Amino acid sequence: MIKVSNVRKLFNEITVLDDVSFSVEKSNIIGLAGPSGGGKSTLLRCIQKLDKPNSGTIKCDGRVCFMFQDFQLFPHMTVLENLTYAPALKNKTSLPAKLALEMLENLGIGSKADAYQRQLSGGQKQRVALARSLMIKPDILLCDEPTSGLDVATTMDVVTLLESVRNMGVTMVIASHDLDFLIKISDRILLLKEGRIAVDISPKETDNPVEYLKKFYSLPPQQFVETLKLSSF
Amino acid sequence: MERIVSDIVYVGTGVLVTLQLLVGAICIGIVGGLLMSILRYRGTCRSLINGMVSIIRGTPLILQLGLIYFAVPGIFGIKLTAIAAGIISFGLNSSAYVAEILRAGIESIPKGQFEAAQTLGIPTSHMWKDIILPQVVRNVLPAMVGEIIALLKETAIISMIGCQDIMRKSQLLAAEQFVYFTPLCIAGVYYYLLVLFIEFIGRKIERSEKYDKSI
Ligand SMILES: Nc1ncnc2c1ncn2[C@@H]1O[C@H](COP(=O)(O)OP(=O)(O)O)[C@@H](O)[C@H]1O
Ligand SMILES: [Mg+2]
Repeated sequence: MIKVSNVRKLFNEITVLDDVSFSVEKSNIIGLAGPSGGGKSTLLRCIQKLDKPNSGTIKCDGRVCFMFQDFQLFPHMTVLENLTYAPALKNKTSLPAKLALEMLENLGIGSKADAYQRQLSGGQKQRVALARSLMIKPDILLCDEPTSGLDVATTMDVVTLLESVRNMGVTMVIASHDLDFLIKISDRILLLKEGRIAVDISPKETDNPVEYLKKFYSLPPQQFVETLKLSSF
Repeated sequence: MERIVSDIVYVGTGVLVTLQLLVGAICIGIVGGLLMSILRYRGTCRSLINGMVSIIRGTPLILQLGLIYFAVPGIFGIKLTAIAAGIISFGLNSSAYVAEILRAGIESIPKGQFEAAQTLGIPTSHMWKDIILPQVVRNVLPAMVGEIIALLKETAIISMIGCQDIMRKSQLLAAEQFVYFTPLCIAGVYYYLLVLFIEFIGRKIERSEKYDKSI
């Protein structure tokens, strides 16, 4: 569904992504873990073609949509207009509006259809952003830090929501610094550190994945290399 | 007393000419400024536009008016009426200022708004029309009202080439009566009333912006 091959990305001569390769099966959820500055956002932006890799290729089957960390809802439009604007350009009937209201209802924010973004809480904005992405029927959904700024209960809601999105057949790549969240939701976790994929695990088949992944966060680079060598034996 | 009334009426016949100049120049200024700022943001002809804006803002308006009215016909063989020359030069001049105002307005929109439109598959023309510009307009409305007021006052230099606007009418009156005070005061009151009117319209638009409620 997604095939990333040998992607290298530099910002001002600094390597942010270094020979990154992986592929994603349909309807899978891939978690991108790793310390801040590891290149998670950059990788997602390259997949969405918001940034262009310096070398390497990225192939996606079907329509890709990106959910921004800060949502980027359109502030001059109501929630409903945010949802319907893009699909209504292609479908001039009342269908997009009907669909949007249904979706808001399902997400438990049906009453917010006519609100503006500044009248929404963080969790509600998150839902609106998700609904707006789903309105264009993506095959692949990329989420950048979908739980940042959300409380524990709302994070649990996001897990449930994204799982139901997966059950609709949508393939997802989710970048997050929240390991517990990623482990709950991901079929596979890639840990990006200094622009490289340092770990590629299936959290369900790994003993104590949090502890395992945490090791890659705090260690200084030298020790980190040693650990890598040991873990490959 | 009777004379004052007839003086007011006489200078008032220039209001229509001043408004013609103003409205014509605003149209050219907004269309030109919009085009320049969007092209420039996208990187098309950036240095050409920067150069134009810089020259227009860096030379006196009265010189630009003179060029277009006196010099251009000599070079291209087109005879422009005074009012046409006024509308063109004030419009071009204003477009440079509008381009700068809009540049600041466009740059104040987060890059993520452009990217969000892109990820949703919104075509570029729709993105500008429905996503970016409505937000820009709200940000730049006060500056635009200021530009229109400045433009109104600058139209007074059209009197140099003999167009019978408010200013010219008051000068004619003064020359005829050998008194300057009353004719100039009358012209001043007309200009000031027009400025108040423009400010009033600006405030009305600002309040009617539905976006206002959302911020
Ligand atoms: N537009 C940019 N210009 C320059 N450097 C950037 C840009 N975007 C990201 N970077 C750098 O790339 C590195 C990776 O950033 P990012 O992909 O945001 O990491 P993460 O999302 O994992 O925290 C960081 O060091 C960051 O400073
Ligand atoms: Mg990030």
